[in-house]
Amino acid sequence: MAASNAPRQRGAAPVSSGPTLTSQHAIDPPLAERRLCFVLGKGGVGKSTVSAALGIAYARQGHRTLLLEVAGRDRLSRLLDRADASTEPTVVGEGLYAATIDPEEATEEYLRGQLPVRAIADVLAGSKTFRTFTQAAPGLKEMVTLGKIWSYAVELRPDQEAPEWDRLVVDAPATGHAVALLETAANVREIAQGGPIHEQAERIREVISHPAATGIAVVARPDELPVSEALDAIDRLRAAELPVAAAILNCITPRRFSDEDVAALESARALVNGSERGAIDAALAESRRAAREARHARDLEGGGVPVIRLPLLARGAGRLAGLEELASAVTDGLSQRAGVA
Amino acid sequence: MIEAALERRVVVCCGAGGVGKTTVSAAVALELARRGRRAAVVTIDPARRLADALGMAGLGDEPTEADGAALRAAGAPASGQLWALQLDAKATFDRLVARYAPDEEVRERILANRIYQHLSGAVAGSQEYMAVERLHELLEDGRFDHIVLDTPPAENALDFLDAPERMTRFVGGKALRVLTAPAEDSAWLGRRALAAGTSAVMAVLRRVTGAELLDDIAEFLSSFEGMYAGFAERAGEVRSLLTSDEAAFLVVAAPEEEPAAAAVELVRRLEEDGFPFAGIVLNRVHRLPPGAPRDVDDLARRLDALGAPRAPALAAAVLEALEDARAVAIRDLDLREGLAAAAGGPAAAVIPALEREPVDVAGLAEVAGALVSPSVSAKRGPIASLG
Ligand SMILES: Nc1ncnc2c1ncn2[C@@H]1O[C@H](COP(=O)(O)OP(=O)(O)O)[C@@H](O)[C@H]1O
Ligand SMILES: Nc1ncnc2c1ncn2[C@@H]1O[C@H](COP(=O)(O)OP(=O)(O)O)[C@@H](O)[C@H]1O
Ligand SMILES: [Mg+2]
Ligand SMILES: [Mg+2]
Repeated sequence: MAASNAPRQRGAAPVSSGPTLTSQHAIDPPLAERRLCFVLGKGGVGKSTVSAALGIAYARQGHRTLLLEVAGRDRLSRLLDRADASTEPTVVGEGLYAATIDPEEATEEYLRGQLPVRAIADVLAGSKTFRTFTQAAPGLKEMVTLGKIWSYAVELRPDQEAPEWDRLVVDAPATGHAVALLETAANVREIAQGGPIHEQAERIREVISHPAATGIAVVARPDELPVSEALDAIDRLRAAELPVAAAILNCITPRRFSDEDVAALESARALVNGSERGAIDAALAESRRAAREARHARDLEGGGVPVIRLPLLARGAGRLAGLEELASAVTDGLSQRAGVA
Repeated sequence: MIEAALERRVVVCCGAGGVGKTTVSAAVALELARRGRRAAVVTIDPARRLADALGMAGLGDEPTEADGAALRAAGAPASGQLWALQLDAKATFDRLVARYAPDEEVRERILANRIYQHLSGAVAGSQEYMAVERLHELLEDGRFDHIVLDTPPAENALDFLDAPERMTRFVGGKALRVLTAPAEDSAWLGRRALAAGTSAVMAVLRRVTGAELLDDIAEFLSSFEGMYAGFAERAGEVRSLLTSDEAAFLVVAAPEEEPAAAAVELVRRLEEDGFPFAGIVLNRVHRLPPGAPRDVDDLARRLDALGAPRAPALAAAVLEALEDARAVAIRDLDLREGLAAAAGGPAAAVIPALEREPVDVAGLAEVAGALVSPSVSAKRGPIASLG
């Protein structure tokens, strides 16, 4: 059954098992227990890589998991060797599915869900005027994208007994756009005061702002600027009442040397030359980097959300072995309890 | 070397997210100031620390000049001027409205409109449009010889070039006139022999959005009546400047699979659309450490002799660190070669991965130094096609 944005769904999957009231931070469930996860962060920090690793980790835990990405950036599909970047969920691993969201297709699908008479929807879909409108209308693409994500999240299995997906992981755009995307529901609700769009926006907003249903994971690299930007993003999301569940510190340099080791290497350095000195220099540079990263990690911890740490893979993360390794690190990180703010 | 680009009035730094666009933009402006020019850098998303380094008071929308004494103290004396500002999309949009509104009343009506308030600040895409609009303002300003434009972190790095067109199409496009006509003038539909398709579109849209929303949109759009031509003209002016030889586009890339692929695509699109591509700036390239020592035991013995605890394990760890550092640098080299092959020439500049993140003036000066270092430009890259 294809998911549709139609508001007249036969019944929505329970989005949470927890209390329906907006819960306080202290009793919010950890990321691992929230069904819908948005992975966001500055460009290039590893959102797609982390999304894939998170999806693999959930699937390994036995969750039927759907990875979602927005059309145009088929990075996730390429990472998973998904040749066609199809908009229908396709299987990419055991218990792991992926689908691409194409806003244009989703707009058409949405209309078809709204309109009982097929002929009218056909006229609309074929109308040049209408196409111009949908392509140009600011915010429409975001709204439809969010609506599509929501409809996957509330979709039920054919037996209507349980949600179709146990976990959904969205590889979101770069921070600024991702926050705009998430804020769209509240914005549209404001713009359309009353009427069907208002109601749909409200239903979507309810799910994505509910800390028992949705968790936002902010990815950062352990450098000064990326960490300060991640902290700003966390503040901004909180101000918009969007539920931040975790920060993910990606590309952490391995910590191989103790202070004692470093002291020994520093005194040894003066006594050697050639390739031995080169090797010691590389080791010392690495340990300096690790020490700096540890400081930035502490800053990130000041953001008041649990921090999940993922190692830097020196041989790259664009391979399956790399993703599997990161997935194991994600699993370790997820098992930490939240709420230590 | 990016010499030719530094002569242009507008230098645009584009590239995938996180490759170093903001850093390189600031470094280009710093270099221009060093050479005695009056340079303004328009940053999109500067981290506070970088903004401080550039002397930007409170991330202002207005250009502020970096303090010459502070630049000198940081080892980057400038005989010209370095100005910096942060793009504030909403403030820019407000000014644009003020400029073209026929009177005070229309201006106030638009600024107070609910849809406008959401559109101008929050909607993705308005930032791209306003980056171009802000550029126009600064070109008119007269205080700057050069404007360096950092670009928004769009999915598609060139989105911002199409943004004005998309936005003007929305507020003034013919399609919307049709859609909003009933609210403006209910006789309109009757007067014209409209295709059945169009009236069906209207009916359906009302049904889907609710009549109220459609009326609000109509009201909002009709308040832009008469301003559209001005918007379109301005966007057109910027576009022709950006395709002229007064502009130069630097494509910033990082030696990672994704950003490298994005850079190649970007170069192709710039050339296809007639924008003056001035070269690739390959940023954050790791230096290749020397090869491993032949004998690990020897290193272990030396460490042991120095009284290092767990000397054999330490020696092994040293070699692992070295191997990882080499793996990273070798990957950079491979990607650098792949990029050169795909882009039809070597990068115009190669900037090393600095051990200290370039978040202050000294760091930016180091990046600037690498940008103009002649060493990498032995072969003539794409820059030859400039000028
Ligand atoms: N933990 C990691 N170790 C090594 N390389 C990584 C790691 N995470 C991401 N990368 C690399 O960084 C680059 C950017 O990652 P990507 O997931 O595409 O970022 P984003 O989606 O945020 O733009 C890619 O080349 C990817 O392989
Ligand atoms: N040559 C370099 N060496 C080390 N770090 C760098 C270098 N260039 C940029 N950085 C760092 O990389 C990150 C991304 O750079 P930034 O300029 O913000 O990229 P963008 O504007 O493209 O997103 C920042 O943390 C920045 O300080
Ligand atoms: Mg990505
Ligand atoms: Mg930037």
